[in-house]
Amino acid sequence: MSAPLLKIENLSVSAGGTPVLKGLSLEVNAGEVHAIMGPNGSGKSTLAHVLAGRPGYEVTGGRVSYEGKDLLALAPEERARAGLFLGFQYPVEIPGVNNAYLLKAALNAARRYRGEADIDAFDFLNLVRAKIQTMHIDDAMLARGVNEGFSGGEKKRNEILQMLVLEPRLALLDETDSGLDIDALKIVGQGINSLRSQDRAVVLVTHYQRLLEYVVPDRVHVLARGRIVRSGDRELALELEARGYDWLLEAVPEVA
Amino acid sequence: MSAVARILEEFAAQGTPTPAGRAAAHALREHSLPTRRDENWHYANLRALEQLTHFSPNPQPSPEMPLPHLPDPLPGFERIVYLDGRLQRQHAATAAALARLHDSGLDAPVSAFEAAGDGRFGLVARMFAPEPLSLRVSGTFALEIISLSSAGAFGHYTDLNIELAPDARLELVEHLAGSGPEAAGAEPSALTCNTLRLRLEAGSQLVHTRLQQAPSSSLLYETVAARLAERATYRLRQLSASAANARSSVQVQLQGRESAVEIQAIAAAQGSHSADTLYTTLHEAPGTRSELLFRGIASERAHAACSADVQVGAEARGSRVLQSLRGLIDGKGAEVNLRPRLTINTDDIQAAHGATTGQLDETLLFYLLSRGLAPEAARSLLKWAFLSEAMGQVGPAALRKRAESAIASRLSDAPAAELLL
Repeated sequence: MSAPLLKIENLSVSAGGTPVLKGLSLEVNAGEVHAIMGPNGSGKSTLAHVLAGRPGYEVTGGRVSYEGKDLLALAPEERARAGLFLGFQYPVEIPGVNNAYLLKAALNAARRYRGEADIDAFDFLNLVRAKIQTMHIDDAMLARGVNEGFSGGEKKRNEILQMLVLEPRLALLDETDSGLDIDALKIVGQGINSLRSQDRAVVLVTHYQRLLEYVVPDRVHVLARGRIVRSGDRELALELEARGYDWLLEAVPEVA
Repeated sequence: MSAVARILEEFAAQGTPTPAGRAAAHALREHSLPTRRDENWHYANLRALEQLTHFSPNPQPSPEMPLPHLPDPLPGFERIVYLDGRLQRQHAATAAALARLHDSGLDAPVSAFEAAGDGRFGLVARMFAPEPLSLRVSGTFALEIISLSSAGAFGHYTDLNIELAPDARLELVEHLAGSGPEAAGAEPSALTCNTLRLRLEAGSQLVHTRLQQAPSSSLLYETVAARLAERATYRLRQLSASAANARSSVQVQLQGRESAVEIQAIAAAQGSHSADTLYTTLHEAPGTRSELLFRGIASERAHAACSADVQVGAEARGSRVLQSLRGLIDGKGAEVNLRPRLTINTDDIQAAHGATTGQLDETLLFYLLSRGLAPEAARSLLKWAFLSEAMGQVGPAALRKRAESAIASRLSDAPAAELLL
């Protein structure tokens, strides 16, 4: 069996001096979709951001390897170029920066990292046009500033569009389903499914199992009190939906 | 001896002054120049003025001196070129433009703004400008004025008076630049003072772009005074990208009913220079409108400042005022000062203003890094995005490109222009 695409070993992280992740371990293999669920404040978004390299967190222990490399030693942009994508829970608006050109710059940064030439303008246009159809995004949005004036649902769809264009090996989607109506949820689900392949993996961070109706996970994990406290298959998500998290938390001792 | 005393002494030694020059000297003697104690001059670099050794313009310029490289012409624009404050009449484009423009012959009296207010550096320009120019524009006209200054310890002065006849339309571009290679970090050795008076008669329209690229050898003070009659509109795009300490004082008087001014301004300061601007808007008639959008970036140890003073008189009922001032601090020793000020003397008015200063948003930066952009490209992109709202108003395309290049030269990172809207 090949090495996992992502291997997190005993990861401990503090934010502002407060421990958030407390010895978290997780393995994600290529070809798999994992869902990480958990109550508010359990550290789900912290995990996604630490993996993507966001400043402001202190890794106090543990290791993370991605494609066999020490992920934590890489700068955020190096992680992105190496194929790690973070879909933001709250995608930022950047007025004045063109949406399409940012996509192109991001794609070319990854291509250069892989030793490939920059994408031809015509090919880029064809690629993006195909992807925006998948995401039901209006052409005109490409010419606007990044997420500028977009609705919450449009921002989330734009995140998935970026993911589809960049074709990352590992996508970390931080509550991509939050704030989406049922139609948008379906579209986002289709977008994620279109990326699934034996060579890639997706980690969905979510509160609810409703996205998992459209994107069926191979593994479901419960993150609570800074650690993975339970793992299972899709049935675990349904059980959480029915019973909530309290029954699990009662069985998990608090770790300092 | 103070700079003012030396300026007056050199002026007296010049010979026969014009009546306007004499009046300006009289006002300067009476009111002197501003000091840092003056509220609106707190952030201007006035100390450097005292260190200058000469103020008079070059007395013996070569009239046949070849012009340095000029920017590409703007399509559809006539062009006037100054070198060290002297009109380059031998330059074919300059001669053609002057032939098409009507010399109003007006020797405008010294106004209160110039005599005792924040326009006092305009007095120095009026005293020393070798070739004051007074124009009257009728119909539709597009004019570019390029003002070049050569290196040397001489002052550079221009004194312009432009009137727009009723319903005239003028697109005016002023480009101030050095004529030689820029010496990085050079101490200022020469005073550059420009004064421009604008009179917009009823229904006239002026689109005015000022691109300021003073060389590091300059100490720059600019004065603009505009008076608008009823229904006149004035759109000013001011782009400050000097390698020198620069101060601009702009006063707009909305004297006529439903007259309007709209200002978009960018100031980019680098090194240890200061870019200081004062915008004073006086609403003096009903239904007048003023909008000011300012974006300033200070890099390294530079200082960018903007004072926006709007005074709405009791008679200016139904007027509207909008102000948006934002500053970006891009260096540990950099400083941005924004001072919005609204004085309202009527109840019937709509006014909105905001002023914020900060550093690059770390969340936005991380977003771009998480998409694989290099840190320097991401920072550059965010700075350009910060300026985009103001820059977006600059046109035509050739001028926009020139302006972007000028601003880019004052930022610490190369621009990623292809990523902008």
